[in-house]
Amino acid sequence: MKSQKWLPYLLILPTTLYLIAFFAYPMISALQLAVRGETRFLTLREEPDDAAERVPGQIALQTVVEVLDRERGEEELPTGRTRPVYWFYVTGETVDGESVTGWVHQRSVFIESRTESTSARVTGGEPVTRWTTEYIERMVNDSRFVPAIRNTFLMIILILPIQFVLAIIMALVLQAQPRGSSLFLYIFAIPLGVSDLAAGLVWYSIFTQRGFINSFLTELGVIDSPFIFISAGREGWILTAIVLAEIWRATSIVMVIVVSGLQAVPRDYIEAGEVFGANLWQRIWHVILPLLRPSLQVALILRTILAFQVFAVVLAISGGDVFTVLANETFRWYDRGDGGYNNPNVAAAYAGLIMLISLGISFFYLRAVRTQEEAAKP
Amino acid sequence: MTVIPQQPTTTAETSGQRHLPPEQRQAIRVRVIRRMGVYALAILISLWIMIPIVLIASMAFSTPSAVRSFPKEIIPDPVSTDTLEFFLNAEGILRSTVNSIIVALTTFVLSTIVATPAGYAISRFVFRGRDAVRLGILSVRAFPIVILAVPLAVTFINLGIYDSVYSLALLHTALVLPTSVLVIASVFASVPYELEEAAQVFGCTPVRAFFSVVMPLTLPGIAAAGVFAFVTSWNEVFAAVLLTLTNRTLPAQILFSLDKSGDPFKFAGGFFMLVPSLIFIFFIRRYLFNMWGQISK
Repeated sequence: MKSQKWLPYLLILPTTLYLIAFFAYPMISALQLAVRGETRFLTLREEPDDAAERVPGQIALQTVVEVLDRERGEEELPTGRTRPVYWFYVTGETVDGESVTGWVHQRSVFIESRTESTSARVTGGEPVTRWTTEYIERMVNDSRFVPAIRNTFLMIILILPIQFVLAIIMALVLQAQPRGSSLFLYIFAIPLGVSDLAAGLVWYSIFTQRGFINSFLTELGVIDSPFIFISAGREGWILTAIVLAEIWRATSIVMVIVVSGLQAVPRDYIEAGEVFGANLWQRIWHVILPLLRPSLQVALILRTILAFQVFAVVLAISGGDVFTVLANETFRWYDRGDGGYNNPNVAAAYAGLIMLISLGISFFYLRAVRTQEEAAKP
Repeated sequence: MTVIPQQPTTTAETSGQRHLPPEQRQAIRVRVIRRMGVYALAILISLWIMIPIVLIASMAFSTPSAVRSFPKEIIPDPVSTDTLEFFLNAEGILRSTVNSIIVALTTFVLSTIVATPAGYAISRFVFRGRDAVRLGILSVRAFPIVILAVPLAVTFINLGIYDSVYSLALLHTALVLPTSVLVIASVFASVPYELEEAAQVFGCTPVRAFFSVVMPLTLPGIAAAGVFAFVTSWNEVFAAVLLTLTNRTLPAQILFSLDKSGDPFKFAGGFFMLVPSLIFIFFIRRYLFNMWGQISK
């Protein structure tokens, strides 16, 4: 170990700057996008002219204003001809609830008859960036918001217990070092490199209408015609397929963390348990698991947070329409294609929500474990 | 308990058992049963992992008509590469594969360049704030890409660098950087500082000592960290669909073709995405615990 004043800081500078630019900044930016947005407001003019002084006060779009007077003008078209344009002298209520009066150009309002009508509806204005709960409200009021939250949590509740039991068994099997354990280690580790999209497609091939489960059951004569697992109204089956795919894909990472933790457990402890006649189950429950607690805690936090990212598996298995999760909604609101809403602000509201839930759950786990430790102290 | 050899062969057990007292015979029996139990579990879990891979591989090597047929056979008959060829010739697949390789290679290079100095600093120097840096890097590792992708996409649009494979590589680098730094730090930590000192005693400058003594020893580990970066980038799909529009990567291209494609495309696509991961994991299996185990330290 060396001790030097400035060199280490210089060496970590690129990483620090990079993480500030691509982690700290986007996270703040996500929260900001969710609560700040551009909205158009109409500002009236003192005179019927775009260059005239503005009347203080902003009128929200869709507000109905009363037309007190109008002025006809001429506007030259690019073709050289002229056409009539109207300015209206209107009075209406601002966003602050005050009444304002001033001139507005016909392009910013909808009016039945330019010469007759006595009221108009505001349709245009200037973009203003402001704080708003609009995006959060749109997120919460969307019909897919509640199913997305419910499915995400259901998924986590179903996946995590099975995944942790399986990961601990896998780690203990490797720890026992059966002959050929390097081959078993390789096989157990394969899912680490498998993408969620590939895993989703693999399990799609098993659960789809003409998939392997149906082929298998048909050949056994259990069913006559294929059972359709993946369709609207069969959310239980879709959830089952997604849960299996996630357990298949993401248990290895928990296993690796548990193995790393097991390697730190002194062999003496386990042998001591053996000497005192503890059976396998007692050794696991009373010796190994308590010593593994820090590793399990980290794995639990990591797995829970990563479970909020489950996205491609859902799309590959269900298509994303009949079954949805939080990450899928984030994508759908952002998506600029045919199926999406092209609204980065609502997408950011989802991203912010996922971030807050992740943080909340991490703190909950850390606290829960600490309280247990404090309670265990004499 | 103590007299039993570590791994008794079956013949030695049976011939030796006759001369052993009953409680030791009992102990051997328990050991054999336990060993068989471990094997049974290991094989069971291996099957659980391998069967889905075998199934999709069998589909990828069947003819498209066999893929659409029902009920399906597990062994392809006849073996054919038509389905895979159909997938590879599908619109945009080849181009997006090239894009994926560009993104993954850029991520590989960029993350190695940025992470190596930081890894070296963390493993070699004692400095104020070292633990804070470690902790900061770890906590950043846990944050999901779903949160980062939306605001970065908006920023990239504003900066005019949206829909570029290199912008996507910037984000992927951020994603792998924390793990890369910690893995590289653990690789440097495994080379004793005394070696570097010895080189300096024999007249090397510190820089030369680093490049001619430390670098050759740590290169495989650093390369493994790079492979990890490559795999992560190759697999990443959420940011890829958000940040690209025409320059799609392979997972993004497959994801966008899902609703208009049939089973042959999906099965071949799933298999095609899977193969590189099988190879990568094989090459970096020695570093697995370095890599994914880092997070728990």
